[in-house]
Amino acid sequence: MNTIQFLMDGFSIAFQWQNILFAFVGVLIGTAVGVLPGIGPMSGVALLIPVTATLTAGLPTEAAAASSIILLAGVYYGAMYGGSTTSILLNTPGESSSVVTTLDGYQMAKQGRAGSALSIAAIGSFAAGIISLIGLVLLAEPLSNVALQFGPAEYFSLMLLGLAAVSGLAGKSMTKALMMTVFGLMLGTIGIDAVSGIARFTYDIPVLYSGLEFLTIAVGLFALGEVFKTVLERDHEDGTMAKIGRILPTRKDLKESAAPIMRGSFLGFFIGVLPGAGATLASFFSYIGEKKFSKTPEQFGKGAIAGVAGPEAANNAASGGAMIPLLTLGIPGSGTTAILMGALIMYNIQPGPLLFDDHPEVAWGLIASMFVGNLMLLVLNMPLVKVFAKIIQTPKKYLLPIIIAISFFGVYAVQYTTFDLYLLLACGVLGYLLTRNDFPVAPLVLALVLGPMIENNMRRALTISNGDFSTFVTNPISLALLIVAAAWLLVPLLLKLKGRSVVLNEEG
Amino acid sequence: MLKKIFSVSMAGVLALSLAACSSGGNTTASEAKYPERGITIVAPSGAGGGWDLTARSIAKTMNATKLIEEPITVENKPGGGGAVYMAEYATKEAENDYMMLVKSPPILINNNKAEGNSPYGYKDTTPLAQLTRDYGAIVVREDSKFQTLTDVLEAIKADPTAVTLAGGSAPGSMDHLVGILPAFEYGIDPKAVKYVSYDGGGEAVAALLGDNADVIATDASTIAEYVKSGDVRVLAVSSPERLEGELSEVPTFMEEGIDAEFTIWRGIFGPKNMSDNAKEYWSTKLEEMSKTEEWKQELEQNGWQSEYKDAAGFEEYLQTQEKVIVELLTALDMQK
Repeated sequence: MNTIQFLMDGFSIAFQWQNILFAFVGVLIGTAVGVLPGIGPMSGVALLIPVTATLTAGLPTEAAAASSIILLAGVYYGAMYGGSTTSILLNTPGESSSVVTTLDGYQMAKQGRAGSALSIAAIGSFAAGIISLIGLVLLAEPLSNVALQFGPAEYFSLMLLGLAAVSGLAGKSMTKALMMTVFGLMLGTIGIDAVSGIARFTYDIPVLYSGLEFLTIAVGLFALGEVFKTVLERDHEDGTMAKIGRILPTRKDLKESAAPIMRGSFLGFFIGVLPGAGATLASFFSYIGEKKFSKTPEQFGKGAIAGVAGPEAANNAASGGAMIPLLTLGIPGSGTTAILMGALIMYNIQPGPLLFDDHPEVAWGLIASMFVGNLMLLVLNMPLVKVFAKIIQTPKKYLLPIIIAISFFGVYAVQYTTFDLYLLLACGVLGYLLTRNDFPVAPLVLALVLGPMIENNMRRALTISNGDFSTFVTNPISLALLIVAAAWLLVPLLLKLKGRSVVLNEEG
Repeated sequence: MLKKIFSVSMAGVLALSLAACSSGGNTTASEAKYPERGITIVAPSGAGGGWDLTARSIAKTMNATKLIEEPITVENKPGGGGAVYMAEYATKEAENDYMMLVKSPPILINNNKAEGNSPYGYKDTTPLAQLTRDYGAIVVREDSKFQTLTDVLEAIKADPTAVTLAGGSAPGSMDHLVGILPAFEYGIDPKAVKYVSYDGGGEAVAALLGDNADVIATDASTIAEYVKSGDVRVLAVSSPERLEGELSEVPTFMEEGIDAEFTIWRGIFGPKNMSDNAKEYWSTKLEEMSKTEEWKQELEQNGWQSEYKDAAGFEEYLQTQEKVIVELLTALDMQK
């Protein structure tokens, strides 16, 4: 039987009335999970597992498994849709993968283009969802093999490329951006080192063993930093907060977003396939890439719609790509997919090399339902844009306490420790001081994500090669990535020497 | 008349004193009566992990079978691989009969290793029962040149730099210890073994399949699927006897001449100063629960192997396991 045949069978399962209902409930809850702080996709999916188990109790095992995974996966990709909402409206990322959306999304909202930003995020997510699904259908098998070939050396070079690209996040001063990068890398070393098992900078405080949580730092720097800035600099008195203009993006917006969405989708999909890289990285790469490709890079950080469209497409496509190692190899690429895998195992269905042979109805039913679910999300989200966009018109004196509350709830719900709340506050103050003095905070956040990955993969690679550094250049994929990274750094330098003006950028 | 008043008042006094008596009696009765209110089981990790699933299964089964009528809630307290909540549990909750804790070997490992140390161990709790078990497995790729565990160990002995061992957790934690244990028993310096840690068992399997590791140490329960698909071979398992199902052909460490075993158990603990009647209550209820159909269903659904040990047996077992772990960590120079 060929792929199309399998997919058609999948659709016949996805179109059963209860599965349409399950997909709808899933994406609905997912949207809520994404929008509401205080619950992330991971805990959302985990907490729904017992509920779906009860709901599907009457069905035969295979059908029950298909139905519950359809619902749970709906929550997962639904949350990716919803995650951008608070980033755009309140500068408060709900998930780590939507941190980068704050950079331009919030600026757009400030200019009264919240409607455009939200709807382009939804459209981008939809396009990316469909593209990554087509990729999943056509390329699952070969890509899972490529993903396996990605060893520590290749990961190291890929992450290094990411770090080289950090210049794309620089503000007025490259020096300050580099300082922030180093600061982020340093913060990333806190915790138990995964390679040697040695505790670093933990001072025997157990709460530091697992390192500083990325989301806490990002929310503190972005959301609370902005709140402090508004309060201290009395931004609320000028009352220039723009009214929401139109809800739908203009023709110009659409035209500017089309290419970033396509690029973001492909990039996100391929990064998502790599276990451990994930949606956060995909969104950063997309942002940095878009800025590089843009004819008007100076617009980035000031409300460039491409800076919303690209990353939002990328993080959604990544969640589609992450299904490949999950389904074909049984290797979860992220915390949430690990929980999805646990749910399948509960029904005695083990994701892995045999899944498509042993349980085709579950695997293909899920894939087909994701097409349906993505369509539902688009239909569901577009009218919501209108509702959400109104939030931005709330007077500052009400909005600021809401942002503070949302930040605290959101962080506590992920970490469950009061330590993170203090950290959040500290990062808020820090974020204010940094942006006030033109230190861009985005490089810090990116370095915090990349640092541990670069370090661990480098040391893994060196352990395997018995300390031989040539492993990074003898390996073709790794070498190619290193060359791109070098070019990324050197080409602008050369251009600058030729007299081109330096890119200016202002952070929100 | 007067007499009547007197007798009434006497009756009143009597009634009052009776009431006093009975209320006094009630107090002692209610001390004996445990539980009086809802109980919390803590999973010292985020939602969805092994500890969390175990805690939720216990809560669900106890309430569904009406063994415990009081509502049981599960709380997640992640941080430091369980060490953050352990400190709170051993100190602030030491007297709280209404807080239970689900844990596994890290309670022993974290307490005894130098780095990322948790100052509190199982002795700061009241072990109530072991409920499930899993074992470690030594796994190679299908096309590996290694046919037996001894092949691997001989190769490491000949040239430790030639063999890469990988696992899903940092050195000094579970996968590492499972992988190192046979080498240590075989007389190899465990520090010389080249160990690469990945972020979780899934990534370790990916490293094996992608030829970035020669051997991995992982859980026996999760590897069966890859054995079925023919991608990997399991060379040995850390169980005392052969396993059932997919891995029934796989020899144990013992059969391979390695005098060691390692169980990845999960159990439930009470607070350090748990009252006697609360301890007895849980012991009885847990034993009853382990025999119910509902619990067996939970185990099957989650793919867990049942192994019930009562409080006394569990504590004794923890003592012997702690010795093994301390010995291993000492050999690795990672002991506290």
